[in-house]
Order: sequence, then C-alpha cells, then structure tokens
Amino acid sequence: MVTYDEGDIAPISAGRRFLARVFSGNHKTIGLQYLWLSLASVLVGMVLSALLRAHTSWPDTAIPFLASFESTPERYAAMRLLHGSLMVFFVLTAAPQLGFGNFLLPLQIGAEDVAFPELNRFSFWLTAASLIGMTASFFQPLNRGINVWLASAAVFSFAALLSALNFTVTTIESRTKGMTLPRMPVTVWAWFINAILSLLIFSVLLAGCTAVLSDRLLGSNFFSAAAFLAQQPQNLVRQGSLPVLWQRLFWYFAQAEVYVAMLPCFGIITHLIATFARKPVWKERLVVLAFCGVGLSGFCVWGYHMFATGMNPYAPLVFAVLASSLGIPAAVLLASWLNTLWNGESEFSTSLLFAIGFISLFIAGGLSGLFLARHDLARAAVSEDFVVGHFHLVMGVAATFAILAALFFWFPKVFGCRMNEALGKTHFWMTFAGVYCIFMPMHWLGLLTQSNLLPDAQRVAVASAGASIRTLVTLATIWTVAAQSIFVVNFFLSLLRAHRAEENNPWRSSTLEWSIACPAPEVGFGAEAPVVYRGAYELTDASPKEFAQQHLSPESLALAQKTR
Amino acid sequence: MPATTTIPEMKRIADKKDGGGKGNLPPVRGNGGGGEEGKNQPKRRPSPNRYYTGVAVGIVSVLMFFMALASAFLVRKGSTDWVPVRIPALLWLNTVVLLASSVTLEVARKRLANGDSRGFRNFWLVTTVLGVAFLVGQVAAWRILAGEGVYLSSNPASSFFYVFTGAHAVHLVGGVAALIYVALRNFEVAKVTRTVAADVTSYFWHFLDALWLFLLALLYLGK
Repeated sequence: MVTYDEGDIAPISAGRRFLARVFSGNHKTIGLQYLWLSLASVLVGMVLSALLRAHTSWPDTAIPFLASFESTPERYAAMRLLHGSLMVFFVLTAAPQLGFGNFLLPLQIGAEDVAFPELNRFSFWLTAASLIGMTASFFQPLNRGINVWLASAAVFSFAALLSALNFTVTTIESRTKGMTLPRMPVTVWAWFINAILSLLIFSVLLAGCTAVLSDRLLGSNFFSAAAFLAQQPQNLVRQGSLPVLWQRLFWYFAQAEVYVAMLPCFGIITHLIATFARKPVWKERLVVLAFCGVGLSGFCVWGYHMFATGMNPYAPLVFAVLASSLGIPAAVLLASWLNTLWNGESEFSTSLLFAIGFISLFIAGGLSGLFLARHDLARAAVSEDFVVGHFHLVMGVAATFAILAALFFWFPKVFGCRMNEALGKTHFWMTFAGVYCIFMPMHWLGLLTQSNLLPDAQRVAVASAGASIRTLVTLATIWTVAAQSIFVVNFFLSLLRAHRAEENNPWRSSTLEWSIACPAPEVGFGAEAPVVYRGAYELTDASPKEFAQQHLSPESLALAQKTR
Repeated sequence: MPATTTIPEMKRIADKKDGGGKGNLPPVRGNGGGGEEGKNQPKRRPSPNRYYTGVAVGIVSVLMFFMALASAFLVRKGSTDWVPVRIPALLWLNTVVLLASSVTLEVARKRLANGDSRGFRNFWLVTTVLGVAFLVGQVAAWRILAGEGVYLSSNPASSFFYVFTGAHAVHLVGGVAALIYVALRNFEVAKVTRTVAADVTSYFWHFLDALWLFLLALLYLGK
C-alpha cells in the first residue's frame, strides 16, 4: 500500500498510523475499503453459487463444507440467502455506487472530500458490521438466524441512507468552480440520481425491517401470518408462516434495488464507451434524462409491490405498463451506447471489452424481461429457472461486468498502474462464454416447466433433455468460477507492481480525476481547487479524436496543442 | 512511491509526467513557480450550505420512512383483526406543547438574528424544556394505554399506534439532542456558526412538528 505524509506532521507510531489509515474519513480510503469488502463478498458468493449448483446436479454427493451442517432444505435455502445477500448488498449495491462512487465522485466534481466525511466513515463501518451480521446469520439456528439477518439488513439500510445523503449533498454543494450541472460527467449524474433513489427506497426497507423485527421479537401484528393465511385460498395454504415474512420483505425492496444496482453501472458504461470511442456521448442530455426515467419508473414499480396484495384488480395492468415503460429509457441508453461506439476510434482494451459485454448481457437479459413484464405472458413463461436466468443475466452478471470494466479503467487511478491486458482479455472471454452457457440454458429450463401440457411420450423426452441441460449449467458454473482465478491472479500481480507509477492519464480521458497524479494522492487536489472550463466530453478543435481536459483554461489548452 | 512525497514534489512529478509527449496535455495548475506555497495553505473549507441541503435531504428520507409505514397502515386497516385504538386525551395536550415549542424556537431565532444573545438562550432553553415535556407526555400516554390493556402486541391497530408514536419519539430525541448541542457548543471553535446550527436544528424541529400533526391525523381519522 502507498502511504503519503504531508512532511510537516510530527512522527507518529506505526500502529497509530495504521489505525488512522484504517479508520480514515478520507473518501478515497473509504471507497477502496468498500471495494475490498465487495471483492471478499463476490469471491465467497461465487463459491457458494458453485456449491448450490453442484448440489442441484449431484444431490447425493456430500459437499465437504456443508457436511458439518444438518442437511435440511432450510439449510439449502439459507445458503441461497447468503449467496443472494452477499451479492446484492455487498457487491451490486456496494461496489458501483459506494466503492467507485466514494472514490471518484468527489474527484470528478473537483471537491476536496464528500460533504460529511465523518458520516461517510460511520456508514462504511455500519456496512462492514452488516456484512459480518449477514454472514453470521448463516451459522445460526434458523429462527435466530433470520432475526440476525433482518437486523443486519436494517443496519445496511441505515448505512445506505447515510451514504445516499452524503452523495446527494456532495453533488449539490461541493462542485468546484465552473462545474455546472451540464458539465458533470455522466458517471456523476448516475451516482447522484441513484443516491436520490436509494434515499427513497432504503428508508422503506428500513421501515419494513423494523416492522418485521418488531413482529418477530415483540409480538406486534404488522404482518400477522394468521390474518394473511386466513385470506388465502385454502388449497394454497402451506405449513409455517416463514414464506409470508420473506415475501413481504422481498417485495418491499427487491424491485427498486435492481435499479439501484444498475443505475451507476449505466453511468460507468456510458462514460467508458465515450472515452474509448474518443467521441462525445451521443445525446448526452437525453441519456441523463433516461437515468432519471430509470430512477423514476424503478421507484414506481416498487410502489406497485407495496399494494400488490390482491387489492386492486387493475394492479397487474398498471404493473405491466410501468415495467414495460422501462423499455423507453433502456432503448435510449442502448441507442446512445451503440451510436457512440459507431465509427469510434476504439482501442479494444479489457475495460472496453467488459463494457461491450455489459451491453450484450443487458440486451439478452432485457429481452426475457419483456416476457416477465407482461402479466399474461409471464404466466406462461414464469418459473423459477426462467426468472433466475433473467435477473442474473440482466442484473447480476451485467452489473459485475460493469464493475470489472470500471476496475480495469480506474485501476491506475486507485493503485498506480494498469492491470495486465493479456490476462484480462483471457479472463473476459472465458467469463463471457461461461455466463452465457449458465444463464441462457436456464431460460430453456424455465420454458420446459410448461411441458406437463404435452403428451406422455414427449414429456419423457423433454425431461431427459432437462436433466442434461441442468448438468451443462452446473459444468458452466464451475468453469466460470474457475476462470475468476485468472482475475484474482491478475489483480494481485498488478498490486505487486503497483509502486511502479505510470503516466497520469493513461486513457487520455478528460475528467478531473485524471488531472492529478496516479495513484490519487491522499490530499486530492491539494489546497488549490481546480477550475472547470467545459463539459466532460468535448473534443479539442485541433485534433477531433482528442478530449479537451475539463480543467484546462482555453489559453493553456491552445498552448498545449501548440507544443505537442 | 516513497512515504515522504510532499505535495509540491507530487506536482512536479505530475508536471514531468504530463509533459512527456504521450498525447497528454499539461495541467494548468501547479506549474506556477516552485510550489513552496502548497505546504502550509489552509484546507479548503466547504460552504455551510451543505448543512442546509443535508437537513433537507435527510427530511425527505425520514418522510419516506413514515410514508412506508403509513401506506402499510392504510393497507392493513381493512383486515378483520383490526381493533381501533382509543386515542388518549393526553395526546392533544402533547400536541399543544409541541406546537408551542415551534413558536418559542422561532422567537429564539429572531432574537439571535437581532443580536440578543441572552434572549436567544432563554427561548432556546424553553424550547428544549417543551420538547422534553412532549417526550414525557408521550411516555405517559403509552402508560395510559397499557393501563387499559392495549399493548404493542394486542392487535394491528395498537402495533401501528406504538410504532408511529415510538418512531416519531426516537426522531424527536435526535431533535432534542440537536437543541442541547446548539445550546452548549462553543461556537468559537466549531466548524459551523451558531446561526447555521440554529437554522438547521429549527428546520428539523418544525418538520417533526408537522410530521406529528400528520401522524395524529392519520391515527385519529384512520382508526
């Protein structure tokens, strides 16, 4: 790790310096800490997914790690929950927004730090506590484990609210001189809009968790299982009230959470594609409006779920219209990405490959979303495998690709050197092929569920096909998880080389974070605030393939072009 | 990079690197003569506006928390096990106390604006006392209900009553803490001025006041 002293600080002991660094309020340290948290979570979560698949395919084989637990269906469900919570909370929510956002948002708007650094540190440590809690809940007996999980989810929501407040206020108040709203990079727009969305939905998750916890611990009657079951048709009533509580919690937050994970990824992808294509973002303002549209309709889809207890007969129609209306901003974003790439001066770095992989996965996953958004079609298509395939493709894997694209892009800014391109590209292609082999066949499996309408002979044939597809999915999962070891090797090898500082602006980008040294020094811009003279994606007059850096005054820009 | 790199040094490194003819443009900052002044300059001070924006954004978030519970209240109200809660008369008195605290808070701010530090202190103290009195009154109201055999776990309506009043009280404890902070803080050494701190606290306090009126109307009309 690189450390910086300001020179005039009195010498302090190594231990205290270590503590000061770990419990730092600096936005770059905190952003990096979020990224480490995500890296640990994604590795554990991925191994869990491989274990889950292996158990589905070969249920009789004892899995070493699981042998010490009682082998009940609940234990399997708890493992799925652990996989899901690690991935959704600590990877998809934490990495693109809290990790990269904390590190880069203040730099990209020329601020010294976030608006409330102490609050930022507090919310990071709350998040870390929540990670410990959620992991610990898996090792608890089921009933207690659920309480621990709920409490951890509440803590996470509170931390997310504090971060969202910080991001919103920072973007509004801490922009440097000249950084008007239209000049903000699209990444900042995405983090900003996402912070507002988080502010609205995580308070709802907090309220939900409070209510469910109060039901479970204090005996209150918010989600009374008895009252709920009494209203259900008798043939659907099952033993135990657990599913009701889980469903409640799920609908409270899950739908909008998808957009919380995706919005910062949209921003990152738009930014990377423009930078690599060496062209301005196509219809930049429309793209920002599309971000707002995603945020708004993402929020309204949540609103539907709140009232979706069979009260309003028109609710499915409203939901269908709202969910389908997400297609409009999605189409705008796709058009912008493809138009920006079109005739671009693309240098196919690993970062751009992951960005293009994101677009591919977003299209593939989005198409099956069209089936699920229509309530009449959903009835035919919906089944566990189909839904799992859909949301993993469009949310899980696509967002992971965006995170990887961002990591390859900003690695020099964070650590001081680029990651290895050859290893990166191998990793990309193996992962890209792997995830398609996992999640596309899952859609087919989902459609096969409808085969009970077929005559007997065909049904047998379909069932045997299903079994081999399942095995294919499991093998592809193991392949993809194994491919990630290339990434781990690449990551840590690059870290070892990190002291060899490279050029300051390796991607010839225009935004403010590249105007300072690599890796970004602890003091950021120092005492002197940068001044912004233009938008984030403006090309120079002299060479139409070169971005004009935001912080260069017109005179120094002209001077720079003359000397070159 | 060695652990002893100073800012001016880093700037020089940055200059050298950027000028290296790799297609990068040299930065406009940090190239003005030596950079000895970089070391001892004061840190940039963010504007106090962030506190105003922060409290506004925080209010939206708190409002959303209560709206989620309020919509759950409206949905849950239709169910068969709903037994309406008779609202204790004490709550009306509490409401008057809370409204009065908003008025005294405004008087205190006016005194502060006029430079009447003593008057500010007195009215600020009255506000704090009224706030604590409201909290004590809420606890008393819970005890009255408990005496009638209406507990958190009795039925959905009572659960909502206790959680609404309880969550509001938790936020109000935060408000009282802010009032005490402003009263006791030595603003000679604080990051904010007394005016900013008093303004931000008063916004939050008035919001809690209005939120209480909303919750009371919801509980009274929605039973």
